[in-house]
Amino acid sequence: MAKTRNDYENSWWPRFVRWLKNGSSALDDAMYGDLEEEAVLPDAPAGDAEKREAQWDERRRLLLRDEQDMYSQVHAWSRSKGAKLAQWFYRVTAVVICLGIIWMLLQTAAYLPPFGNPDNPANNEVSRRYIEQGMQETGAVNIVAGMILDYRAFDTLGESNVLFIAACSVLILLRISSEKHGGDAVAQLEAEADDRMYEPKNDLILQRIASFLVPLILLFGVYIIMNGHISPGGGFSGGAVMGAGLILYLNAFGFRKTERFFTFKTFKVVSLCALSFYAVSKAYSFFTGANHLSSFISPGTPGRLFSAGLIPYLNIAVGLVVCCTMYAFYTLFRKGDM
Amino acid sequence: MLLEGLRFVLSAALSLAGLFVLISGVVGLFRFKYALSRIHAAALFDTLGIVLMLLGVMVATGFEVATLKMLIVICILWMTSPVSSHLIGRMEITINDELEKDMAVLDKRTVRHEKEGD
Repeated sequence: MAKTRNDYENSWWPRFVRWLKNGSSALDDAMYGDLEEEAVLPDAPAGDAEKREAQWDERRRLLLRDEQDMYSQVHAWSRSKGAKLAQWFYRVTAVVICLGIIWMLLQTAAYLPPFGNPDNPANNEVSRRYIEQGMQETGAVNIVAGMILDYRAFDTLGESNVLFIAACSVLILLRISSEKHGGDAVAQLEAEADDRMYEPKNDLILQRIASFLVPLILLFGVYIIMNGHISPGGGFSGGAVMGAGLILYLNAFGFRKTERFFTFKTFKVVSLCALSFYAVSKAYSFFTGANHLSSFISPGTPGRLFSAGLIPYLNIAVGLVVCCTMYAFYTLFRKGDM
Repeated sequence: MLLEGLRFVLSAALSLAGLFVLISGVVGLFRFKYALSRIHAAALFDTLGIVLMLLGVMVATGFEVATLKMLIVICILWMTSPVSSHLIGRMEITINDELEKDMAVLDKRTVRHEKEGD
């Protein structure tokens, strides 16, 4: 026992504590109370309950005062010296990290190949093949659509899933479910509705403009999606345009009207169908060892609306997911429900 | 040749006029302090300025399909931009509780009175 205690006392931490406290050991201090307690309790006379109580109270008071002293010491240190030290450390670290990142980026920039050089690593056989053979192999006039929806369709599936997962996380965090919590949630929803009392509702100017613009915007979104394999555009941009149109309609006419055609159920069904269609239609490349260039769907005549194999349908799926996600984000952040 | 020069001068004049309108609007946007005064500057300059700029570009390029597209752009901007400014203004009016204090109409007498009071 003694040996152990000596070992402990001679290690660096107790010595440091002792030095801090000017000589007395931390273990001594910690054991002091316990030892005294052991000594006091049996010796106390049996009938002297009140005296014992008073002793205990005194002890407690002293302990409490010690603790208070320690805390105030620590707080004073952290307020004066510690704060200065932390600030200095923070500044030095910030500058060092900034300089390090600048140095790293400059190093990277120095190693970049010169711009426009034909021998750059970006100009390899992959991009040459995309440009030269892309139209024959995929049937898409738009090389980008051919790349992202045929050669690299898995990548795009991942991107659509990222959007869907983001919408799901927002749902989990922000949705006020009325089935789950009963009256509480109803009250919360009503409070949200009250909060929106200040918003300009039923604005006649906005409604007139929206009734003219929303069909145009939706039509334009559909055009971008459907012509994704012929002209610049595609599922992502077209879906964003359609989602913006829906949000405009919602702002102009309120939730009552949008709930007639777009509810939480619509969101679920449409997103699920689009994503699973995409996943299923691209699953066969798992079984062909990702070597799906020889698709059994013929590319058709490039430039026609129904050509390029699966690309238009995949564009539609991506567009639906993006549109639903945009709208879901807006409604969830605004109302907490759909 | 003369026609070309005339077209260039016309398009340059239109573009410069649009630029002047846009710059004056931006100056107003930054000089004014209160939201509604800023809207007074912001809601006015973008319609006229963008139309003048686009007309300049249309004159410079001559008549093509792109010209029609620019016309559509002008139509859309004329429809959407005033409506958005209107909504921002209405939002400010519905939210601000101290509207009377912020938008107090000061005539010369009250201003002089306040100055003397200081």
